[in-house]
Amino acid sequence: MALVEVIDPNDPGKPNRPQTYQESNRDIIRVLLKPSSMYIAALLLTIAMMGYGGWCWYQQIVWGMGVAGITHPTMWGVYIVTFVFWIGIGHAGTLISAILFLVRSRWRTGVYRASEAMTVFAVMTALLFPVLHLGRCWQAYWFFPYPNQRELWMNFKSPLMWDVFAISTYFTVSSVFFFVGLIPDIAIFRDHSRGLVKQIYGLLSLGWRGTHRQWHAYMAAYGFFAAFAAPLVLSVHSVVSWDFAMAPTAGWHSTIFPPYFVAGAIYSGCAMVISLLMPMSYLFNWHKYVNTWHYENLAKMCLLTSGILTYAYGMEYFVSWYSQNPYEQTIFVWRATLSADYGWAFYLMVFCNCIAPLAWYSKRMRTNPWSLYIIAALVNVGMWMERFNIVVSSLAHNFDPATWWQYVPTWIEVGILVGSAGWFMFWFLLFCKTFPAVAITEIKEMVTPPVKGRLEA
Amino acid sequence: MNRRSFLKALSLGSGATALTGCGIDDNRYYTPVEDLLPYVAHPVQTTPGTPSYFATTVGTGPRAWPVVAIHREGRVVNVGANHLAHAKGPLGEDPRYRYRAQRAVAPTQFFELQRQYSPDRYTQPMSEGASISWEEGLEKLSSAITAARSSGKRVAWLGGYLSGTMPSLLETVTGGDALFWEPLGLENEALASRALLNIDTLPRYNLSKARYILTFGAPFLGDAWGGPGHQADYATARDANDGRFVCRLAAVTSLKDQTSANADDWYPCNPGTEAQVALAIAKIVARKHSYRGPGQELVAKGDPAAAAAASGLTEEQLNTIADAFLAGGALALPGGLAGASVQGTQLAGATYLLNIVARTRDLFTSGGYPGPIHSYQDLESLMRDMASGRVGVLLLGDLDPVHALPNGAEFAEALAKVDLSVTLTSHPNDTTALTKLILPTHSVLEDWGDEEPMQGFHLVRQPGMAPLNDTRSLGDVLLSVWRTLDADNAPTGDWRGYLMSRWASDIFDPQVRGLGATGASPADSVESTESTDGDFLRWWEGVLGEGFFTARGGNAPLSPTGDMQGPSGGGLEGNGELSLVVYPHPFLLDGRYANEPWAQEMPEPMTGHVWDTWVLMHPLTAQRLGVGDNKAVILKTEVGQLTVGVEVSPCVKENVVALPLGGGHTEGKGRYAAGVGLNVTRLLKASKDAFGALAWQQTRCEVTRADADADLISTFGVYPRSYEPGDYTTDESDSDRNFAASVNAAQWAEKGDGETEHPGELTGIHHLPLDARLKAANVTDFYGLPDHPTYRFGMAVDTNACTGCGACAVACYAENNLPVVGKEKVKQGREMSWIRVNRYLKDTPEGHSPAVHFVPMMCQQCGHAPCESVCPVLATYHTIDGLNAMVYNRCVGTRYCSNACPYSARKFNYHSYVWPEPFNLQLNPDVVTRTMGVMEKCSFCVQRLRRIKSAYRDRGFTRPVPDSSLEQLPACADACPSQAITFGNLVDPESGASKLRKSPRHYIPIAELNTFPAVSYLARASFHVEEAKPHHEAEGAHGEGTPDGGAHPTPAPHGADGH
Repeated sequence: MALVEVIDPNDPGKPNRPQTYQESNRDIIRVLLKPSSMYIAALLLTIAMMGYGGWCWYQQIVWGMGVAGITHPTMWGVYIVTFVFWIGIGHAGTLISAILFLVRSRWRTGVYRASEAMTVFAVMTALLFPVLHLGRCWQAYWFFPYPNQRELWMNFKSPLMWDVFAISTYFTVSSVFFFVGLIPDIAIFRDHSRGLVKQIYGLLSLGWRGTHRQWHAYMAAYGFFAAFAAPLVLSVHSVVSWDFAMAPTAGWHSTIFPPYFVAGAIYSGCAMVISLLMPMSYLFNWHKYVNTWHYENLAKMCLLTSGILTYAYGMEYFVSWYSQNPYEQTIFVWRATLSADYGWAFYLMVFCNCIAPLAWYSKRMRTNPWSLYIIAALVNVGMWMERFNIVVSSLAHNFDPATWWQYVPTWIEVGILVGSAGWFMFWFLLFCKTFPAVAITEIKEMVTPPVKGRLEA
Repeated sequence: MNRRSFLKALSLGSGATALTGCGIDDNRYYTPVEDLLPYVAHPVQTTPGTPSYFATTVGTGPRAWPVVAIHREGRVVNVGANHLAHAKGPLGEDPRYRYRAQRAVAPTQFFELQRQYSPDRYTQPMSEGASISWEEGLEKLSSAITAARSSGKRVAWLGGYLSGTMPSLLETVTGGDALFWEPLGLENEALASRALLNIDTLPRYNLSKARYILTFGAPFLGDAWGGPGHQADYATARDANDGRFVCRLAAVTSLKDQTSANADDWYPCNPGTEAQVALAIAKIVARKHSYRGPGQELVAKGDPAAAAAASGLTEEQLNTIADAFLAGGALALPGGLAGASVQGTQLAGATYLLNIVARTRDLFTSGGYPGPIHSYQDLESLMRDMASGRVGVLLLGDLDPVHALPNGAEFAEALAKVDLSVTLTSHPNDTTALTKLILPTHSVLEDWGDEEPMQGFHLVRQPGMAPLNDTRSLGDVLLSVWRTLDADNAPTGDWRGYLMSRWASDIFDPQVRGLGATGASPADSVESTESTDGDFLRWWEGVLGEGFFTARGGNAPLSPTGDMQGPSGGGLEGNGELSLVVYPHPFLLDGRYANEPWAQEMPEPMTGHVWDTWVLMHPLTAQRLGVGDNKAVILKTEVGQLTVGVEVSPCVKENVVALPLGGGHTEGKGRYAAGVGLNVTRLLKASKDAFGALAWQQTRCEVTRADADADLISTFGVYPRSYEPGDYTTDESDSDRNFAASVNAAQWAEKGDGETEHPGELTGIHHLPLDARLKAANVTDFYGLPDHPTYRFGMAVDTNACTGCGACAVACYAENNLPVVGKEKVKQGREMSWIRVNRYLKDTPEGHSPAVHFVPMMCQQCGHAPCESVCPVLATYHTIDGLNAMVYNRCVGTRYCSNACPYSARKFNYHSYVWPEPFNLQLNPDVVTRTMGVMEKCSFCVQRLRRIKSAYRDRGFTRPVPDSSLEQLPACADACPSQAITFGNLVDPESGASKLRKSPRHYIPIAELNTFPAVSYLARASFHVEEAKPHHEAEGAHGEGTPDGGAHPTPAPHGADGH
């Protein structure tokens, strides 16, 4: 079994397309069979990662934030970096499912369900971090406007508060959108299962019977949610970028941040879709549904956003020179000094985000599975590094040189980072095994419908 | 489930919940049980929640200074400045100048406070490690003294400097064999005074009137040389108010320590040649003055050419210094420990001569420290007697010869041969751990006593609290020994009575009652204590209330009637290329405060190092050796070697390596000192100068690379420090940032600090052009500033007065319950200090040596605080008084506030810190201790603000608290010996802090961020920067660009509240 089915680039999709409705049903429902040992192993690995992360978090709760590497003045470290990273990952899903749906991009069909799932789980992962980076995480509920007799409110001026609303809105909308899309497919699972499992799928499919009226309502709802979710793609990461841009800290305080962050988020999200779907389609043999046609299109998305990011990086330097702001200049020069504390992170970021994807300008590289996989992985690393550079290096060399300090992450922070990846993968694996991770109904739209007699042509 | 069963389950469930709520057995839940029992009858002077203040004296010998012990619920929780140590101080008021009050608390006085609660304190008498009763202990002591007397052996006291009543009592009990010695280098000055000036006291330096001060290394702006009064005097001299001069400070030293870092001119000089330099300058001055008088032949021995050659200075530089002396108003200070070379006493003598030939009559007078000062020679002969078994009883005071003497090991051996070695002090050290009998005495906060740091400046010490442990007053111990030995003549009263009778006979009678000095010893008059007349008792009560009494006298001009051999040769001996210089650690001093966590955690002012010993090395020297910051090197002298970490610094002369004293204690000193740092005296021999003083600067050393990293940690950040000779701008500590600003000294002296139309016009700070355009459009701020109807508390910090002594930072630890986190945590950048005294190096136009600026940075209490708007839970908000309030309870610990703070003023509680008992007794009950996960920062001592506001309200005043009650209210402003910090109400245009915001020296660091800080700074006077252009000539926004409202040429929209 090849890692990726290579298809004829001149006729994307066609030869390998499932030929009948039954075939596509069968292919997808196959995931419900007894799990392979590889799947079990992967699942156990994610549980172990979560366990380690949980243990690290426990240490942090008992001993205080001191077990992490955060220090004065670098009060945010790996946690916020990873938070922004996962929020960014959470962007591609809605982009692919909503925006590409609205512009009727056909290639989204094979990948949109998985990337939507990725979105929901990535946001779930990201949501861990605002809680676990708190000095007193047991007070996290103070972020919400719950009624209390002291009439305490939150501070609506705080970008962190905007985050709470932006992300919870995004999470709600993308979850609902995700679920709405799942309904007809869950009904297929219901129809092919028995006993308790059938009951559960039955409950989740909300009585879907596939009538014309239901299809009509479904398509209207789907279109509505797509239109509703599309602007959130832009707004959420803009709000996240304001966590930084709204503070006067040199290196953060920049108007370029919202578009820069949104482009970065889409970039990392598309790369993550590639990174996730390649092993998944290998594991579940979905090559008919997810193949180089999709990967190539994702790679093109990455190329576009990589270009935007490279421009943004350059523009940050231009603006710091053009403004003649000494604090900003110092930070940007220092950040790009290879011998400085975080020079390696900067050049790793530039290589992964700006240089490595250039290979995808070549069609061969865009369709070569190894190049796809390796470069997508590099982009993921690069995007994490980008957030590291923004968060850490700006803080470490703040206005007063007498406070400059080096932040070094500890094993606790690394453990929680690993644990968060485990948490994300755990949900994703469970989902792929129990739900239609490829959108059967939309695949069917591309299949010759079962009709009596023969079709013309 | 039907409706009925649902309702049943519901009622059962809610009933159970309600019952749990009123359960009696609530041990499962944490309910703090506290008994709040009111006093039936209040103990005298104890009202719960209300402090009582005791004027007392903390510090001993020349470092003694009047302070106020702040007493709460049975314990002293803090020390504050004695507000009466004012113009009534030792020098009296001078109507010509606005005199800076001499109210101050030095860092070491706070260390004495922490010492009080040290877990390592002796708690009871002990003999050979076993606990005994006081009766047994005194019996042992008395019988040992009797035995020693009968066998003709010495009964000696060895301790640090003491003045006032105690020395005479010690002399009586030991039969005249009391030795007072300290390793901080005053012995040179004492020996020179005796030999040259024929006086028993040290000379007095009247710094406040000096126009030019030349120091040969005496750390007069720190604690290692004298009390904090010098700093107050220096600040007066340095202040150009009323259109005066600005005192220029020059240092001829091999090292810029915290004191000489303040020098305007640093003349790097080879160690050991200072005496020749001083004498050469004296000779030039004498020649130009055509000096005829005593000492002229001594001065004639000076040789400028030879001195220049030996010291590494040029003759031109010597002439420059001499010219300053010829101009008048100049004063030379001796060397302290840094000048204590093999010619240390000659150096002291030469500075005396220089002062005399320069006719600095009213600046250099008699009346300095009058207490007994013995030389190392006396100590050495005692050691010899000890080693040969001729000492029967050695009474050991607060001195640690085993640690502090180069030949400490020999002392330890000799100590073992003493029949009975007795510890008579309150705290352990390396030496007391070796003594046989330990009779712990009261600490300075528990005992009666007196001191006389300058002749005629009598300080009284009264207990601020009851003793914590089973200790006794040293005076009482000595009196009871005396009574045992000589029941007929010994006084019958206690130590307090003895003290009072001494004050009655020696101070009250001659000074107040107008009788001549009786000449009677205190012992003679002690019987009359009980019947002392009411006049004395009334006077005594008054003195206790004020804490001191200033007698007439002193201030006589001095004359070099004695003789003294001149300096010869120069430089240090020994192998190796590099001269080894040792200097007192500004906080640990010679190591006596090494067991005080505050002293260890305070960043050393010049290097920022904590909890360690380092070696300072010039960049070129380091380059030659191929080492850099925090690399280990091996220092080798004739007698020993040490492996120590390097701090590369342009503030030390080339080819000199400098190490601070005070580290490397054994377990005997206590848990916090043991094993911290290195004992650098182990590199030295116990060599003496010609007069018998210990020579600290004595040898060269060989330095080799250890090819390993050291474990030093500096809190001064990690900015690149690539010093190139002649170009210190690569030290990015303040490039282009104007956290530290300068004004031309002459221009400022002419202009004064009065209110000006263009505040900050002398600083030459140009803000970003954006400000200018906004100003032109009369747009000060898009959002309105917060409303401050009555108060906007603010502060003005004078960086010209600040000497970097660190008193403010220590005061903050004491007042605000800041935890000490230890070296490992500091290494992670987690020290909790709310004030950091930033040290910036500024390139000087000459380029030979960077100018050092000290800038205390605390929360700036911004009007538009970035921290406030970003906090998601409103844990920090702007109060109506203009404070950035920090609500610990509400904080969830996002730490966003710290990230947003441009001044990085906030600190985070990474852990819940605990205070080992009994340190917890020192905690200020007015300030909560913080637990892990919350942010904290300077609160402007909000607890003091609340107290004073409540006090005014309770007395029925409706007007705001007046400026006089606010000016020094926060702990930092209260402690600051230079009074660099002025606190006040910015709404009141007449308040001191408001007026200083209109000073031509006014500046606000990173003002262009428009955060409208309540803290403003005053630029440091410099003799090296060019004059600033007048405002109208400067382009763009000049000074005016400091958008703090107070600086507006036209009334700002919110001008009323002091912006």
